Amino acid sequence: MSKKSRSKLWFLVHSWLTLPIWFFVLIVCVTGTLAVVSQEIVWLATPEARATQPSDDAPLLTYEQVLSAIHKAEPTLAVQSISRPDESHFALVADVVYPDGRSPALYINPYTGAIQGESPSFDFKAFTRALHGWWLVPFTNGYSWGWYLVSFLGLPLLASLVTGLVVYKKFWKGFFKPNLRFKHGARIFWGDFHRLCGIWSIWFIAVISITGLWFLIQAFMFDNQISISTAGNPPVVARQDVPIMPDGKPAPQISLDQAVKIAAENIPGLEASFVSLPSNAYGHIEVGGPGWYPLLFQTAEINPYNGAIEGSRMIADRSGLELVTESMRPLHTGDFGGLWVKLIWFFFGLILSMMVLSGLLIWTKRTALATANALKRSEKPKRAPKTQTVTAHSPQPEEVNV
Amino acid sequence: MSKAVAAQPASSLSRLWHKWRFHINILLLLVPLGFMPKYFADASLFRGDSGLGERDIGTVQVGPWSLQLAELRNEAPRPDGPAGYMKSFNAALCDTCIDQVKAAYLRIGKPRSLRAAGVIFFGTPYRMGATLPIPERTKADAELWITLEGWDGSMHQASIPLSQASPTTVAWLTKQGGKP
Repeated sequence: MSKKSRSKLWFLVHSWLTLPIWFFVLIVCVTGTLAVVSQEIVWLATPEARATQPSDDAPLLTYEQVLSAIHKAEPTLAVQSISRPDESHFALVADVVYPDGRSPALYINPYTGAIQGESPSFDFKAFTRALHGWWLVPFTNGYSWGWYLVSFLGLPLLASLVTGLVVYKKFWKGFFKPNLRFKHGARIFWGDFHRLCGIWSIWFIAVISITGLWFLIQAFMFDNQISISTAGNPPVVARQDVPIMPDGKPAPQISLDQAVKIAAENIPGLEASFVSLPSNAYGHIEVGGPGWYPLLFQTAEINPYNGAIEGSRMIADRSGLELVTESMRPLHTGDFGGLWVKLIWFFFGLILSMMVLSGLLIWTKRTALATANALKRSEKPKRAPKTQTVTAHSPQPEEVNV
Repeated sequence: MSKAVAAQPASSLSRLWHKWRFHINILLLLVPLGFMPKYFADASLFRGDSGLGERDIGTVQVGPWSLQLAELRNEAPRPDGPAGYMKSFNAALCDTCIDQVKAAYLRIGKPRSLRAAGVIFFGTPYRMGATLPIPERTKADAELWITLEGWDGSMHQASIPLSQASPTTVAWLTKQGGKP
């Protein structure tokens, strides 16, 4: 096979990848892009989700102060966890349960402890993530087939990147001489656009497709009971450590601030970004937050009766393989370095969505015709796989390097 | 494009493919649309907006205390990998016993001691959940035992027939004929 016809073959593979499902791919790209900034969209749409500082020098409340403020305002409320979003313009989020069993999240002002509002029953963040992540197909037995459907797209995405770079001759020159011709008609413009976006998105497409493929592998491993985890079972408080109270009242527990202090003293660099209260009398207070490696959280399980650290999951506890695989999700979502990283992911998400569209536009304007011609030429020999005949009968790869 | 393609002699399968291939998009879009009602029903269920669970079992008196029980889902146990089949129940403690009850447990068959009381409930007294393994050989006339442990060290137990706790589970057990 000549070099030219080989590149023509690659070109056709590139042109036809996922084409019949282009709209599905586009929606997955768009919902993924929205999911990256879903927390910010909620912030924009919901004034209660914002953190307003009453005065310039107002200090942030501690977790125990927040818990007391909630109990003062709503004495019957049961609080399950309090988390402090990564960026200071977000209100704290407390997962609570009302006496009637409703369990919304509450937005709490981090400076005053005031309950600013309740999360709406339509959870935009969860919805976009469910739509993007598993196409809303329910999980009934292991991973949902929607999860497989979406994560499988990592494969054609990676193949698009590779074949795109193969057919784009000397693509690195595009970095130094960006080419975007406006005056030569739509086909030329979209072709230039597709290539320009493509070379600047190489890193992003590689990250998204590889992490997406990891989600596929993860689901496959889970559903086939293959585990690489070194985490072990979550600890429970030993029966003898839970006091018996002659008066029949709940045993006193250490405060959340004490728990945070114990965790911080024993885990250098831990910045507690969430605290979970014990989920029953034999449960631990869990304190967690990012450590020196911003992609992963570190957590500590603290006995609520005697303050002992009875479990922890540090960066150093992870195996090398776990460090890589656990980094996949934050790398996919761009949720590891604050607003700016999210905005970069959002921007390149938009670009990737535009590449699906521009690819389709180019296809309708050019590849469809080229393929039809190629098929006509291949009528003489007996039917054979399309791409094969094209490479054998197209001495003129005029479409390749437009 | 379609004209040119149609002009060539092709098997009926490939003609069908060429004619309808872009309609796969429509089929794929119908998937989330179809599951949307289910998604929102589940979101409301887990948020507690539509009650304790899909099917209320009622109030069970356990010694001096009582609790409300519900099946999280009104359906047969779900397979959970090597752990076997699991069934989730939700519970809410009575208002006066919230401060007295240390823990609540569920088990099929009478527990021999507090240490074997079964699976423990997680959550808050207003809404807590336990996921109970249902062995496939469970008898259809089995009983669901509820154990409540008090902060004062006391223990109280009560039971209800499994057929009352979860008719769908009993139907599932009967259907597979009590596998060995």
